[in-house]
Amino acid sequence: MDGVHDLGGMHGFGPVPIEADEPVFHEVWEGRVWYMTRALGGRVTTDRVRHTIEQMPPGQYLTSSYYERWLWAAEHLAEDPEVLADTNRSRPRPSPTTPLSPSRFRPGDRVRVRNVVTADHTRVPRYLRRAVGRVEWAAFAWPNPTRSAETGTYGESELVYTVVFPAADLFGPPADHTLAADLAESDLEGT
Amino acid sequence: MSQPNPAQRAELLEEHLHAQGIIDPERIEPAVARAESSSGDVPSPAMGARVVARAWTDEDFKTRLLTDPVNTLSEYLDQAIPMAVVENTALVHHVIVCTLCSCYPSGILGNPPSWYKSFEYRSRVVREPRAVLAEFGTHLDEGVELVVHDSTAEQRYLVLPARPAGTDGWSQEDLATLVTRNSMIGTGLARTPPA
Repeated sequence: MDGVHDLGGMHGFGPVPIEADEPVFHEVWEGRVWYMTRALGGRVTTDRVRHTIEQMPPGQYLTSSYYERWLWAAEHLAEDPEVLADTNRSRPRPSPTTPLSPSRFRPGDRVRVRNVVTADHTRVPRYLRRAVGRVEWAAFAWPNPTRSAETGTYGESELVYTVVFPAADLFGPPADHTLAADLAESDLEGT
Repeated sequence: MSQPNPAQRAELLEEHLHAQGIIDPERIEPAVARAESSSGDVPSPAMGARVVARAWTDEDFKTRLLTDPVNTLSEYLDQAIPMAVVENTALVHHVIVCTLCSCYPSGILGNPPSWYKSFEYRSRVVREPRAVLAEFGTHLDEGVELVVHDSTAEQRYLVLPARPAGTDGWSQEDLATLVTRNSMIGTGLARTPPA
């Protein structure tokens, strides 16, 4: 989804707020919300939790603290039918050692990021859509995040590739760095 | 009537989830205490420092850490997750971010700091990483290749910082004191030993 959470590359946010020696939680309720959100998320998928946070109205998202966003998500997850049904209980969490299926792309291949955005959950950031990069390697296999968010369960795995992009292609010539992202095979096409 | 504040809403939610049998409130405090612990035996910057200091002193461990991080880190992690370890050297510098949410190598480093989850860091480090690193007091030489890793999938990144000069013969325990959290995210370097 084209949501407010998709912040990569946006201008205007100012200096990074760096707090020296900060505590893990600043308020007691933050730790309790952290625990509850994880307990709720464990009944479905991490993708379902992420997609719930992404539903927060944009103005509210930008004016809430990190754990206020988690609290909002936890309150919504607590009413989520799939969470109440503990949908993912019988499914094991995917293993990173899942045997890799035959890969469509090889290291060095040029690939384009597909522009297939809907209102559903996606892990393709806006700034990478339609960009052309180079496959570094087939890093691991994992269930498709769009489906995991939609169903609340982890299904079949697909390959996820680390793809590198010249930042100048994404953000203009002053950028001289490399951007690396992990992208599902179904989000990529050959060029 | 004023709106309930976050602490009051959290309390209401806790009662509701307890009544539904979704959580046992007695288990919250120990879990929070573990998350807040700075012990090297639980996920925290101290655990990360132990891993880094071991890699600095044990070439075989370092090779395994870089080439097979999932299995190599299994003795530290509670749960097997896809992991990648990227090495910072005099030639290449890696920095990690999650522009879409807050993905972080929590299994090793514990919960991320607030700045890592901030809109400022998430929006800017992919676009102008050198300017962002400068705000952390980190200035890279011009020739250093800079790679920004956006954690867009389930794989978590841990940066292996370069071992500072002047530490020949140091023990793992002493070396670990030079490893900062930011050096394992890539916004900082390991500390240099006092001259």
